[in-house]
Amino acid sequence: MKRGSPFINPPYVGPFTRYLFAIAMVAGTTVLCEQARPYLSPVNMVMPYLLAVVLAAVFLGRLPAIITALLGVVAFDFFFVPPRFSLTIHDKEYLVTFVTLFTVGVVISTLVAKVRESLETLRVREQQTSSLYNLSRDLAAAVDTTAVLSAVLRHIEQSLDAQVVILTPADGELFAAAATDAVELNSDEKEIATWSFRSRRLAGRGTGSYPESPWRFLPLKALADVLGVLCISIDESRHPEGRQLHRFVNSFATQTSMALERIRLIGEAQQAQLLMARENLERALLNSISHDLRTPLAAITGVLSTLVEEEDKLSAPNRADLLETARDQAERLNRFVANLLDMTRLEAGALQPRPEPCDIQDLIGCALAAAEPRLSGREVSVSLEPDLPLVSLDLVLMIQVMVNLLENAGKHTPEGSPIELAARTEGDRLVIEVSDRGPGVPEHDLGKIFDKFYRTPVPEGAGGTGLGLSICKGIVEAHGGSIAAENRKEGGLKVIVTLHRDWPAGGREPS
Amino acid sequence: MNTEQGSTNLPRILVIDDEAAIQRFLKTALDTADFSVHQAADAHSGLAAAVAVRPDLILLDLGLPDLDGIEVIRRIREWSQVPIIVLSVREREDDKVKALDTGADDYLTKPFGVAELLARVKVALRRSLQQAPEPVFQVGELVVDLPHRVVTVRGEQVALTPTEYDLLRMLVVHAGKVLTHSQILKQIWGTAYLEQPHVLRVNISNLRRKIELDPSRPRFIITEPGVGYRLKSPD
Repeated sequence: MKRGSPFINPPYVGPFTRYLFAIAMVAGTTVLCEQARPYLSPVNMVMPYLLAVVLAAVFLGRLPAIITALLGVVAFDFFFVPPRFSLTIHDKEYLVTFVTLFTVGVVISTLVAKVRESLETLRVREQQTSSLYNLSRDLAAAVDTTAVLSAVLRHIEQSLDAQVVILTPADGELFAAAATDAVELNSDEKEIATWSFRSRRLAGRGTGSYPESPWRFLPLKALADVLGVLCISIDESRHPEGRQLHRFVNSFATQTSMALERIRLIGEAQQAQLLMARENLERALLNSISHDLRTPLAAITGVLSTLVEEEDKLSAPNRADLLETARDQAERLNRFVANLLDMTRLEAGALQPRPEPCDIQDLIGCALAAAEPRLSGREVSVSLEPDLPLVSLDLVLMIQVMVNLLENAGKHTPEGSPIELAARTEGDRLVIEVSDRGPGVPEHDLGKIFDKFYRTPVPEGAGGTGLGLSICKGIVEAHGGSIAAENRKEGGLKVIVTLHRDWPAGGREPS
Repeated sequence: MNTEQGSTNLPRILVIDDEAAIQRFLKTALDTADFSVHQAADAHSGLAAAVAVRPDLILLDLGLPDLDGIEVIRRIREWSQVPIIVLSVREREDDKVKALDTGADDYLTKPFGVAELLARVKVALRRSLQQAPEPVFQVGELVVDLPHRVVTVRGEQVALTPTEYDLLRMLVVHAGKVLTHSQILKQIWGTAYLEQPHVLRVNISNLRRKIELDPSRPRFIITEPGVGYRLKSPD
């Protein structure tokens, strides 16, 4: 650490040397005066001695200055006050000179010492202020806890040359989050740190609690709780500032807590923002869900109330028509609830595929059996690679995927347009494609169609739930596979499902 | 529980379900189809009714408030072979398999239509009345002559491996009834193969290729996903 000017700050020289210097100065002054004796009256020789006292006060400190004054009086008396070489005084007037010389020495040295002390204080304060300023500048730039802690460490090392350990809490225990070169606390010291953390009070050296420890423990207090403990061990012989030093270290701790608190608040603010975005999304989902639940219910209720209240007036065909509507809507409701349950289970991680070896033709047969009645006469042409191997998958879930894909194709294509279903192996992968001849999907939306509640505009009544494809994605990914969509060159959409043949033994699809 | 008067000649069906709405629907549907309907709202009164009514068939909801449906099946099977059809929801494939393996004859997935209900009830009733299977089984263009071990589809004889034939015969004997994977594996391959489901998949696949016109749209051997297989019944 850089020291101040040597003219102001003597402590480099040990106390003993300083007294030697004082003696040497008196001796030197005496020699000079001896040389000047023929030209000076003894009274004027007091002046060089006064000069020596002032110099001693400036360079050597208060006590050496007083010693200089005392020795100066003695030397002046002994060498120059007649009778020379004796301490006896003939002229009693010299007593006034002695007393004055001595008093002036004491007063000057006291004044100089005071000036020096206040300068020293100023210097230390200025230095601490600037290092605190540097610290706060670095802390302001820190974006996370790690950066805060490393800035604190760096600054303490630079300005105090001290050992530091910063402990932060995790699961109710304190852990060293940062420390100067591999310094570790022993278990006793950790206990003191924990005490300081819990009681929110200073502990260790220079405090009322555990003063025998070489460490000082400063709880990093935030508004509501303690964010950690700053443990610092300073070689105090190199820092004579005393109370100043403690105040400085306290400021360091305060700055650190403020920075940590700031980081935490930023994190909480981000969390809150995230939560809000999620709430908005959930509100949108809820609106969408309630619409999808209420529409078929409204239709069913309408049909039933018509049948109950207007039964006599209904013609047989009207009646049949109404009943057909009610049944369709009930089925729609059932499918929607099933989708919703699947989605919920997928998101809760409760939909775990249970793989068993499956015949792909069987999978496609089951999917066709379930979906074809709802495809209003669209022809599904199936092309399977001959001798497809058994593929390990959860048949029930994968049928759901195929049914959703087929229904999705049916929903978005003109009535009567063909749907193609193909399956083949590619290396250790099984590829299933469902292609249609519909309008396809705008290129920039291709990636979104598997998002929850994404809907393309479809004719009223064909309305999807916006869940089908996202369920497909969820199920396929739970199988370690992938799902993608592309527009066909010749028009229409193609959805491609890729699965590992030997999943779950084989590797997962890189996500 | 209520017993209909003057309906003693009609087949008796005991419905054990705690949902009043389902009870009402089943009662109306089965009454209309000329069955005598008896009702119980929980497992214990259902078990008591099974003793008192001696039903010809039981419709059992698996989600009863007082006792697990599987346990109800087990207790009934201790003394009776009365056909039991369980009612369950889509996601509970495990429960269906467990119910079938415990001795239930069939299942219906809620929600179901009345046509499906009556078809299952009729198949189960016929099977329980039938002492031995018809020697010659026919559904659509599939004919299985059990005494002669001859299988013909669309008038042409089909060559099956012994395992395929055993498999088909088992399905024929239980035509209309769902057979679980483990029931088939146990009977055709033995208990050692219970953990080898792929032999069953491969043989079903081969069998379909030989007897189905379009194996991607099977009309004879129907897969019940997650549960087992069912051969289409003649009606």
